Amino acid sequence: MSSIKEKFNQISPSEFFYRNRDLAGFSNPTRSLYTAVREFVENALDACDQKGILPDVHMSIKAVDPEKPDPKPYILTVKDNGPGIESKHVPLAFGTVLYGSKFGLKQARGMFGLGATMAILYGQITTNKPVLVKSSTDGKIQDEFELLLDIQKNKPVILKHTTKEVTKRGLSVSICLEGDYAKAGSKIKDYVYETSLITPYATITFDDPKGEKFHYSKIVNEMPPAPTIIRPHAHGIDVETIRRMMVESQFEIPNIDDAMVEKVRKDLGLAKNNLAFTGIMDKAKKRWKTLSRPVRVVISLMSFLKMDFDKLSKIRIEDIDVPNKKLYYWDFGDSQSKSVDMDPESQYYKQLTGTVQGETLTTFLTKRFQRIGPSTAIKFAEFAGFKPEKRMGSMTNEELVKLSDSLQKFEDFLSPDPSCLAPLGKKKKKKGMKKFFKPDFCAVIQRPASAYSGFPFIVEMGIAYGGEIRPGGPHVYRYANRIPLLYDEGSDVVLKVVNDTDWSRYKVKGEPPFVIVTHICSTRIPYKTVGKENVADRQEIERELRLGLQFLSRKLAAYMSKRGQAEMAKKRANLYAKYLPLIAQFCTELAGKTKEPNYKKLLEEEIIVDDKQS
Amino acid sequence: MTTNKAKDRKQKANEKQQNIIDALKDHGAKVYGDLDNGQFPKFSIPSRSVSNIVYDKKLRQYILGNSAALRSSRNSSQLRSFTQLMWLAFFANRLTQEKKSSTLRDVYYSSQAFAIEFEDQSESDNIIVDLEAVLSKPREDFHIFPEERSSIFGDLNIEYTIPGYEGKKMNLSNHPDGYAIGPSLTTAELVDTSAEIVIAIEKGGLFTRFVEEQVDKKFKSIIINTGGQAPRSTRTLLKRLHDEMGLPVIVLTDGDVYGEHIAMVIKSGSANAAHLRELTVPDAKWVGVWATDIEKFKLPTIPMTESDIKRCYDLQSDPRYQEGIWKKELDVFLKIKRKAELEAFSKYGLTNITDKYLPQKLELAKSL
Repeated sequence: MSSIKEKFNQISPSEFFYRNRDLAGFSNPTRSLYTAVREFVENALDACDQKGILPDVHMSIKAVDPEKPDPKPYILTVKDNGPGIESKHVPLAFGTVLYGSKFGLKQARGMFGLGATMAILYGQITTNKPVLVKSSTDGKIQDEFELLLDIQKNKPVILKHTTKEVTKRGLSVSICLEGDYAKAGSKIKDYVYETSLITPYATITFDDPKGEKFHYSKIVNEMPPAPTIIRPHAHGIDVETIRRMMVESQFEIPNIDDAMVEKVRKDLGLAKNNLAFTGIMDKAKKRWKTLSRPVRVVISLMSFLKMDFDKLSKIRIEDIDVPNKKLYYWDFGDSQSKSVDMDPESQYYKQLTGTVQGETLTTFLTKRFQRIGPSTAIKFAEFAGFKPEKRMGSMTNEELVKLSDSLQKFEDFLSPDPSCLAPLGKKKKKKGMKKFFKPDFCAVIQRPASAYSGFPFIVEMGIAYGGEIRPGGPHVYRYANRIPLLYDEGSDVVLKVVNDTDWSRYKVKGEPPFVIVTHICSTRIPYKTVGKENVADRQEIERELRLGLQFLSRKLAAYMSKRGQAEMAKKRANLYAKYLPLIAQFCTELAGKTKEPNYKKLLEEEIIVDDKQS
Repeated sequence: MTTNKAKDRKQKANEKQQNIIDALKDHGAKVYGDLDNGQFPKFSIPSRSVSNIVYDKKLRQYILGNSAALRSSRNSSQLRSFTQLMWLAFFANRLTQEKKSSTLRDVYYSSQAFAIEFEDQSESDNIIVDLEAVLSKPREDFHIFPEERSSIFGDLNIEYTIPGYEGKKMNLSNHPDGYAIGPSLTTAELVDTSAEIVIAIEKGGLFTRFVEEQVDKKFKSIIINTGGQAPRSTRTLLKRLHDEMGLPVIVLTDGDVYGEHIAMVIKSGSANAAHLRELTVPDAKWVGVWATDIEKFKLPTIPMTESDIKRCYDLQSDPRYQEGIWKKELDVFLKIKRKAELEAFSKYGLTNITDKYLPQKLELAKSL
């Protein structure tokens, strides 16, 4: 066991990723170029999001030698107007794997900033060129680094470091890597296009190797509110998670070493005097109120062990078994494990259990989980069949399982706090979709927050119809945490839900000009594969998608029937306007009259009738 | 005496024209009145759906029942056809006033000058039938004629009544290719004839043979080529020859179910024209080729097709085929499932049909 662990530790994270680069999406020149683009653009957007800066991201891909056939070396540069990285952090941030600032429970595009380092690693492997990082945090001085990664040591090697005066803040990263733009180009263009749809507050520019420029200006001038870091939600938490949370909630059993004994003696005023067991207890009773918690715990232990300080220094406490009221210790003298019973009536027992058993159930719930107040906690305890003052530490394994089951089943918890999530918001989404698709009809919905396995998520959805949308829909645009998902459509939960829908029920027929945009925000997206391209069909997510789509479909159906009616009315009005004058003309001659009948009244009347209908 | 008769006829023709013009004017005035009163004009058309076509035993033809459809300009789905019909009435009025004639195809094209679009000729043909039904008059009365493909030959003197030819006379045996039966002939006065019978024959080829073999002289007959199913104008002329000149009419067709029905339509009209009277010759006789003739004259035959057989079954449910020769021959056709054309007689020589078959049949017709 221990030898395997040692071996594993000997591989540096850099080396591990170097050996497993396929996992991170760097399997071939086509995929690698696309993944590298994604990682850098997403990092740039994340950096701006976190500081509330409207992103202005400029990306360019240039061939080192345009004449060479693909795959060939390309220089990929991504520049942003974000906060930049402090000079001293740059080498570590870009020259080591697993260095990042994105740990914590909140929504972000990437988890740990790993991907960018992977891209740098891949570039270095394929072209043996350093990464060029330019960073300015104050908009005055810019640090410029040329870095290589020492793969085996997982350490940056600084080739060059200069500074220069600038006028703009931000970060620019430039790597040289082997890629195949001929094959990856259309995906990269799609990626840039679709990214700009879900980040309507960002300006994104892309200069491609063929000299084409793609520019998407920001459509809205307001950032979505930034996510905050929060506690977990009660729904979908498992036994293992509860165990880990409990460890945090308990006071540790004090380690009774010489220093500890010294402290107790000092606090009892017995630093010099050596009293017998009963004397010590008497002294402690008198001074109880002034004693600190660790000292009280030691005294309590001594009360059951019936030992003085000499004896105490010859044992080690092994376990405090609260349910069975037993105290186990190791006796160095006899070299064996011994136990004593604890009297539950004793005041020292309460002191011990209060420490060892940790918080009461209600305190545990209100303090460790989000959105649970005292009254909900008491209601839950009743529901789960626990006493509200039940100590967490006193729970048996079976009780923990029962607690975990009940936490999932109890329905009166408030839905998860979505403040750790950053959905785009209905207004921005609608504005973005309108600007992008120029539809006749557009509706969006943001579903209330829900959770799967303890991770909150929000489904945002939009539907657009008609206008400049090309026919042959529904065209589905999938997003997760503001990342467009372009590959592996077929196995995605969104596609499953869309394909299950019978569109004719919503008056959508034939090859409709019709777009669906879905955005799943979560602290953790349940991707099916490491490639982050398709979302697994988790029941909770599928349900939210389904409800969202149903809501939007009904809106669409209402629009479609209104549109149908309006078209009909217009058609009819046109028909009357066209034919009544002809009828008038013909019957005038037939009837042998010279003046046409006054049919204009009829035309006006028809328009009034139509107005009433619509 | 003759002049008196002629005068009578002329007066009759004028009356007929005036009737049509009056009917059209009434129709126009009603629509005009509705429009002027701020109402959506509407009128009813006798329904020509199958369920409303019934056989009248007394008249010996199909007629329309009592059900009628309302056509309203308020209904946007009828607005187009409403307007088309109004245009047609307007167009027919001009034709009749100016004594000009027009073909079905003409109508289709003329409509385009008035921004009345017909999808195709069958749509405009249909509107023409609608107007016939509204006015209860055949389209020939309002000067719309089908493309002509039938012709006539024989000793018959006529006198034209159409503008430009009024009073001009003509003998219909002067030209061996025969005379096309068009508006000028159907409206001409039938002055006199030496013929004693009218022979209507289905095919142009046999018509030419009959002229060559001087059937008109040998059998004192007027020969008419119906060109398949007899057009309305031909049926009108047949009726006039029968009614005005007192000539019996016999019909000679191919020996198949279609031939039999060509004869039937001359005799009692078609379901398509159930809204019209005066197109039938109830006394007309079908003399052949019968199914029984095929065996009797040992004619070369060809097998009936699927559609031939289906047509037989269709006609079996027609009330006019429930008795007499009509039923009998239909049953035999179905039994032998073979058919023979008029030309089949050529097997026994080109003149066999005129020398042998026709005389027998003419004799037989007297007893039918």
